[in-house]
Amino acid sequence: MAVAAAVGADMKALTLLLAVASLAPATTFYVTVAGLGGEDEFQQRFDNWAKEIDKLVRASKDAQVETLFGPAATKARVEAALRSVSAKAQRDDALVLMLIGHGTFDGYDYRLNLPGPDITAGELSALLDRIPASRQLIVNMTSCSGGSMKAFQGAGRVVVTATKTGTERNATIFARYWVEALRDPAADSDKNETISALEAYRYAEQKTSQFYETQKRLATEHAVLEDTGKGDGVRQPSPQNGQGLAAAQFAVVRMAGAQNISNDPALLNKREELEARIDKLKYEKASLNEGEYRKQLRALLTALAKVQAELDK
Amino acid sequence: MRWVALAVALPLAALAQAPQACRALYRQGKLAEARECNTRLAKSEDPFLRAQGLWGIRDYQGANAAFREAALARPADPGVKVLWGRMYLEHFQPADAMALFQEALKAKPDYAPALLGMALAASEGYEIRAVELAESALKSDPRLAEARALLARLALEDNDRKRAGDEADKALDSLEALSIRATMDWLDDKGDTEWIARILKIDPAYGEAYSTGARLLVLNRRYDEGIHLYRRALELNPELSDARAELGVQLMRMGGEIEARKQLESCYKKGYRGPAVVNSLRLLDSYKNFETFRTPTTVLRLQKKEAALLRPYFQEQMDRAMAAYEKKYKLKLTKPVQVEVYPDHEDFAVRTMGMPGLGILGVTFGNVVAMDSPSGRKPGDFHWASTLWHELSHVYVLTATNHRVPRWFTEGMAVHEETAASPEWGDRVSPEVIQAIKDRKLLPVAELDRGFIRPSYPAQVIVSYFQAGRICDYVNQRWGFDKLLAMMREFGERKTTPEVVQHQLAMTPDQFDQDFLAWLGQQTKTQVAGFDDWRKGLRGVAEAARAKKWEQVIAEGKAIRDLYPDYVEAGSVYEFLSQAYVAQGDKAKAMSELDRYTHAGGRNPATLKQFAAWQAESGRQREAAQVLARLNLIAPNDEDLHRKLGALLQESGDHAGAAREWQSVVAMKPADTAGANFELAKALQAAGKRDDARDAVLNALEAAPGYKPAQRLLLELDGKE
Repeated sequence: MAVAAAVGADMKALTLLLAVASLAPATTFYVTVAGLGGEDEFQQRFDNWAKEIDKLVRASKDAQVETLFGPAATKARVEAALRSVSAKAQRDDALVLMLIGHGTFDGYDYRLNLPGPDITAGELSALLDRIPASRQLIVNMTSCSGGSMKAFQGAGRVVVTATKTGTERNATIFARYWVEALRDPAADSDKNETISALEAYRYAEQKTSQFYETQKRLATEHAVLEDTGKGDGVRQPSPQNGQGLAAAQFAVVRMAGAQNISNDPALLNKREELEARIDKLKYEKASLNEGEYRKQLRALLTALAKVQAELDK
Repeated sequence: MRWVALAVALPLAALAQAPQACRALYRQGKLAEARECNTRLAKSEDPFLRAQGLWGIRDYQGANAAFREAALARPADPGVKVLWGRMYLEHFQPADAMALFQEALKAKPDYAPALLGMALAASEGYEIRAVELAESALKSDPRLAEARALLARLALEDNDRKRAGDEADKALDSLEALSIRATMDWLDDKGDTEWIARILKIDPAYGEAYSTGARLLVLNRRYDEGIHLYRRALELNPELSDARAELGVQLMRMGGEIEARKQLESCYKKGYRGPAVVNSLRLLDSYKNFETFRTPTTVLRLQKKEAALLRPYFQEQMDRAMAAYEKKYKLKLTKPVQVEVYPDHEDFAVRTMGMPGLGILGVTFGNVVAMDSPSGRKPGDFHWASTLWHELSHVYVLTATNHRVPRWFTEGMAVHEETAASPEWGDRVSPEVIQAIKDRKLLPVAELDRGFIRPSYPAQVIVSYFQAGRICDYVNQRWGFDKLLAMMREFGERKTTPEVVQHQLAMTPDQFDQDFLAWLGQQTKTQVAGFDDWRKGLRGVAEAARAKKWEQVIAEGKAIRDLYPDYVEAGSVYEFLSQAYVAQGDKAKAMSELDRYTHAGGRNPATLKQFAAWQAESGRQREAAQVLARLNLIAPNDEDLHRKLGALLQESGDHAGAAREWQSVVAMKPADTAGANFELAKALQAAGKRDDARDAVLNALEAAPGYKPAQRLLLELDGKE
């Protein structure tokens, strides 16, 4: 986990310029659907998660939010919500679709259980294809959600599923930790006051694994992420497996102050140069002795802190 | 092959000649000749003879096939099945052996060799029916010396010296019975026993005599002496793979891992691959995943993945416990104590394999303690610090008595120490214990060891732990702790329980039992009398809680709570009441219930964390921190716990404590490495450890170079410099 996290940080630093631009799209459309619980306990849980997501994403600037739960979460309403986004969204916008509840997979089709007729992954994907927003994040947190991966994946899409395959049928808890990731500053591992899809995924995946481990229960869900539009989802996105780059650039929620960007080009250049040197030094860590590495790291980090202090004045 | 004096009546006397001849050579210590004899026998056309020859040269697969052929050829002959079963018994297949003995009994009811085989199989698992079966075998054939010797061994295992001696004396023409006599001398510290000379005169290579002694010494926790005797056994007969395997296991238990591996690998290479050998080798292999930390007085072995997290807590408790015991027991250990902590319960279980009545959470072998890691069980399942103190008490008691102490006393002291360390620690009075008290199933003190070694009902081991602990509590309360020390000294001088009770407490064991039971009756009066009402009432409370009938939960819960205040396991009345009060909006009363729960020894992490959160919300930060600190000794593998406790301690000004907690968060490799290191840096800065704080803040910034609060702290720390 530590290795993966460090690699992820490197990846993020390398794409910093891209990220600065892409972390601030014009509008982010959030569509959240909590499906049919089947039992009171599940229904309440699913609805609460959806409500909490609704509250969290509404706090983001430039967010357009549609949240469906309980009896309102019908196939027709889901389709209408996505059509509405199609009508409003521009190419520079982003879409975040979050699915909560029970899913099924018969070997061919994934279905999200909704009051009334269910909706298949194929039907949802067709609706998503019509949305002009060039960057889309689909987080399917239901049981059997791994069965929806093939239907959802595509260019410009980050897909997260709570289960690795469509055969992991037990009710999942990934959604609980995904919601937690959106509100817990601890999920913001690079402390840029923005929680990216990769950060939220890593947080939720780690917490879900820990849950099963500490409860001494056999893990019945294994979340995966796929953001290249091809191949299988992976549990640990990294440069080695080529997954996670787009997810790292996809802002799911921004915290207060995230948009405060200075316009002093000299200082910004200096900061970027220092960040690049820090990144390079981290790559060279293995070839340096610990003392030398720490000495250089301290010097660079101190310089960066001073530049940031100037920028913040 | 462990040659046995079988009284298997073969239909044809001639057929018996050859195996008997091979056996005779073996019994005379002519091992090479016996092997040659068996090799010849293994080529016999008669499958039964061939089976015995193949068994003799340890070709178990070949022997098995030959036995099968022999059984088909002679289906009515119970002797074939018994010998076949005995081979299975030797080959670690007691269940298969038992099935064959039962088949033999169907062919010939009351067939003594089959009953003996069943008794031997049962004795391997310390089953109480081993005694009954051996007695049945003797009833069927009073001349069956091996059954007599088995009864003697079983009595000795139960610490019933008189019966052991009597039974052995009735069969002194058998090597097994003579070995029991020798063992009794070794247990009495008579090293040069005359019985060995008698044994070796009959069979100069009879290493089994030493193995028998070793087994009993190990059972009495005299591991070093057991190891010594296993070595003697192998000197006489290097082919005794069972003795070699046991030697390896005991060496491993005592920390002698290099030689242990050598001995166990030797067994494995020779095809002796029983669970003890295979599992012990696997465990030795897994040690590469462990990290060892040494101080002048302790050795702590932790699994690498959790070493950084657990080390501070374990080291602190080890140091505290050892300082406390050094003072209490007036004893300074001369060797470091080694504590091994296993996150995989199966690894820990290898440590206790073949040992009856040992704790399911921890075990002590001399100066080596092995125990479950808190991560090895569901959070809240056990109190690891209590277990550690329990096991460390054994180290002191065993050292003080030179390992000459009855099981009940050392367990009793260990249980006593758990609650002496903190009244909230230790196992509570369980429903099984209450039932045993109600049913008058507690054993007389003089026979209490039997409850650990050969329980007669499933819960008897647990009940015996409880009883032994309460006996020590009682002695401590009535006569004082010095009396326990005096008893301990006398046990070390080889005095028996009746002698020690008589001499130290000035009463007969019977009188002691009467006084103790009267005292215990007073102590447990409410719980025993109210147990049935409590049990029925709890069911009603649980149902009412499910139906959210909170008034009913409160009324019925309050009525039964104090009938059994020790019950803090899942579905405790305290938790139901707290839930009901919260539902009614009365958080103060809910907190009051959880306060009771905490002091009664409640261990549910979720409940304790909820209690701490309510306390913090109501401004009682210090109490909240105390509740969470308890959890460090129960379920420390919880990032959220350390985060919350770290924040509370920092807020209440305990910066060193806060730093420890944030260090724990960092050790758990959290998703938020930067945040955890930053909080650690703040705590270290507040604790005046500027260099450490700078290291921590650099770690935070290494993970997140643009982390502004950490950047500010770095500049602040550099500025101060």
